Amino acid sequence: MTGGREGTPEPQSEDPGTELTPLDAAAREEVITSNLGLAHQLARRFLHRGEPLDDLVQVASVALVKSVDRFDPARGVDFSAFATRTIIGELKRHFRDKGWAVRASRRVQELYLELGHATGALVQLLGRNPTVTELAEATGASEEAVIEAIEAGQGYRATSIDATESEDDPLSARLGELDGNYDSVEDRALLGPALATLPPREQSILRMRFVEGLTQSEIAVAVGVSQMHVSRLLSSSLQKLREGIGQTESEPR
Amino acid sequence: MTDAADVLVTGDRIELRFPARGDLIVLARLVTSAISARAGFDIEELEDLRLAVGELCLLTLHGSDARSGDLCLELTVLGDAISVVCTLERAAAGEAPGPEAAEIAQLSEQILDALVDEHGRESLDGSVRAWLRKRRGGHAE
Repeated sequence: MTGGREGTPEPQSEDPGTELTPLDAAAREEVITSNLGLAHQLARRFLHRGEPLDDLVQVASVALVKSVDRFDPARGVDFSAFATRTIIGELKRHFRDKGWAVRASRRVQELYLELGHATGALVQLLGRNPTVTELAEATGASEEAVIEAIEAGQGYRATSIDATESEDDPLSARLGELDGNYDSVEDRALLGPALATLPPREQSILRMRFVEGLTQSEIAVAVGVSQMHVSRLLSSSLQKLREGIGQTESEPR
Repeated sequence: MTDAADVLVTGDRIELRFPARGDLIVLARLVTSAISARAGFDIEELEDLRLAVGELCLLTLHGSDARSGDLCLELTVLGDAISVVCTLERAAAGEAPGPEAAEIAQLSEQILDALVDEHGRESLDGSVRAWLRKRRGGHAE
């Protein structure tokens, strides 16, 4: 059995002067009602593109109504086949009109960067590398989207380190700032032992802030304390580090 | 983002085999995405093909009387098109597909009508072989 593309029926000419009789109106409503399940099923097929189901069902339902109004039984095409094509066409148009093709690419990139943050936070939280399921939960994305972003990320890694993800958030800003403040091997050699004197939790928080590049709020969520508490811990940890290496550098920003 | 080594060209063929379970069809979709991207399909065509391959797997899975086995997917780049063939290698036969399977098949075929240029399926000794072909360049609505 071979499918393939049949000619899409042309819309019937609209005649505003033609009013439906009560019987026609009832039949029209019955056809719409009995095919709402089809609209819902088709909307679900587009779920993984990142739009809320409610929006998709609405688009599909409007398309169903359009297909009822445009359907011409004289063309010999089965109504559900015609409606399916119309509804899928409208769902696709919905994504096209929203510039989805552009956003999809960006969405994957953003998710990839978000996964970097989430991975760092989860490593600290769990004491091991997170699973895809855990990353999906942490980022609110589907497991499929996480895998796709990881796969796509292999390509994005080739992107220039100074490539701009957004005007105020270049990739290089995500590298953490510790290195920029300790620009000699000697400084690193001094910092290591000083870091080791800090309690494990403070070491973790410093790493999250200055190596992973997490915000204080993100650290607060990962560690399970308030953002204010993270701020206080950071200040005291940095002060201990300064004392430990005998320097009085200002806090990295 | 993509260098020459990532590109798939005419004649390149990729095979995927996985346990015939609905929850693993995600594997077929992911592989399809990767292949479509490397064959030069744009993001919308890629999404269409991914959706269509999911339907192809459903058609094969629900149209068969298999109780267990492997779904085998063969994707081939042919010029500006990708062809996909999905078959089910049965390990053990079960009950013949019921009326529910016919409904699923009908919807899947309608979806394929809207997404790809050509598709079809044949029943072979209680199993189903389903195939599709999609060209890049926005041919299907």
